[in-house]
Amino acid sequence: MAARSRTSSLLTAITPEAIIEAELSWIASLVLFFATVYTVLKLDVLWAAFGIAAISLYVLPIISMRNPFRALPWEMTILLAAPMLLHISSGSGIMLEHFGWWRHLTDLAFALSLATIGLLLTVELQMYTDVRMNRPFAMLFVVMFTMGISGLWQVGEYIGDVVNHAHNLTSNRQVMMSFVWVLVGGMLMGFVYDLYLKAISENRKRTLGLIHLWEVPKWKKD
Amino acid sequence: MEERLKLLSRAMQAGTVAVAVAGIVTGNLTWVPAAIIALFISFIPSILRRDLKITLPIELNFWIVLALFLHVVGGFSGFYDSIPGWDHLTHMMSSSLIGALGFVMVVIVDKYVKSIYLPRPFLSFFIVMFTMAMGVLWELMEFANDSLAHTQLQYGLTDTMVDLLFDGIAGFIVAIFGVQYLLRVSADHFVDSLHVDEAKDKIVDYLQKRRDSV
Repeated sequence: MAARSRTSSLLTAITPEAIIEAELSWIASLVLFFATVYTVLKLDVLWAAFGIAAISLYVLPIISMRNPFRALPWEMTILLAAPMLLHISSGSGIMLEHFGWWRHLTDLAFALSLATIGLLLTVELQMYTDVRMNRPFAMLFVVMFTMGISGLWQVGEYIGDVVNHAHNLTSNRQVMMSFVWVLVGGMLMGFVYDLYLKAISENRKRTLGLIHLWEVPKWKKD
Repeated sequence: MEERLKLLSRAMQAGTVAVAVAGIVTGNLTWVPAAIIALFISFIPSILRRDLKITLPIELNFWIVLALFLHVVGGFSGFYDSIPGWDHLTHMMSSSLIGALGFVMVVIVDKYVKSIYLPRPFLSFFIVMFTMAMGVLWELMEFANDSLAHTQLQYGLTDTMVDLLFDGIAGFIVAIFGVQYLLRVSADHFVDSLHVDEAKDKIVDYLQKRRDSV
């Protein structure tokens, strides 16, 4: 009985806009999910790991709060899923063959997605562990994380190339350019997320329940 | 142990001086500026200790001197060309050094900033990310130098990727050793031994004096 009344009060508190927002987020997460399944089936190790990490961070708050409306904002979920989609879509492959700038676009999408994962990590580390950061440190961490993971990523790609006798990394220049985009995207998102968290409306913050935790406000250690 | 490390550091500094002198005497000037700069950098910890009372751990001090020594002596003796993998060795030395300095900084931040708490597992993760990020920045710097000034710092894809691989390994090693070090010597004790408090007082004093004199 108690459980029932909790559910109904939960549903009445949610506005139609919030439902549409949550639906957009779920759709984007489904794209991410199926892309991850695809990479796992193709034994595309790096991308599978990327997808699994992103999905874990996405579902963790939903499961722990047992509330599907505590989903990541849809715009962030789309950023999260974008590079996976670009990686597996054959349309993107054709664009890559014909247009040189398409690679820059995919590199940038990758950087934005990594920065989003970094942000989610700062949020969820503070939700589920003792880690506490203030905002400047969290921003620094997001930039470090984006660059650090992309460095390890390229090493992983290189090892994959050597093991499989493949040539996914064609030249030093290509790798360096992707680092340039990671640097640009990581720093950009450090600031954009700072502004975003300030700009997002109080109402929305309350529905999402997640995003105010970029830092734990007024937390001080003794 | 401490005395021996100090002695070794001094010996390596003497070796660096020897490179500078030998370079000038034989007219082989390529590595003389590097030797002089390296010598200056190797004395920075001593200068910090004298003027600010900041005391880096002996091991870290030794590591700084060793990295500089291997770079300068190896360069002067032509090891970069004659010994395969020498550049990766020195690269790993310097990236582990940067990782270690990052570690010292982040432990100090954890101790002094009240709104930050970084448990040890997170600390080790942060160090790996930091070292790797610095490695990426380093390669980007080389790439920019090559593109703009037409130098030849990067030898190609394989060389860059092996550099980054060693950065990653160095990051992991520093993370493991750093956390081990904190288990042995508590973080509080470690920060105290650096004498950051005294340095802060000194700087505040200095600024106060300047303000008074204006």
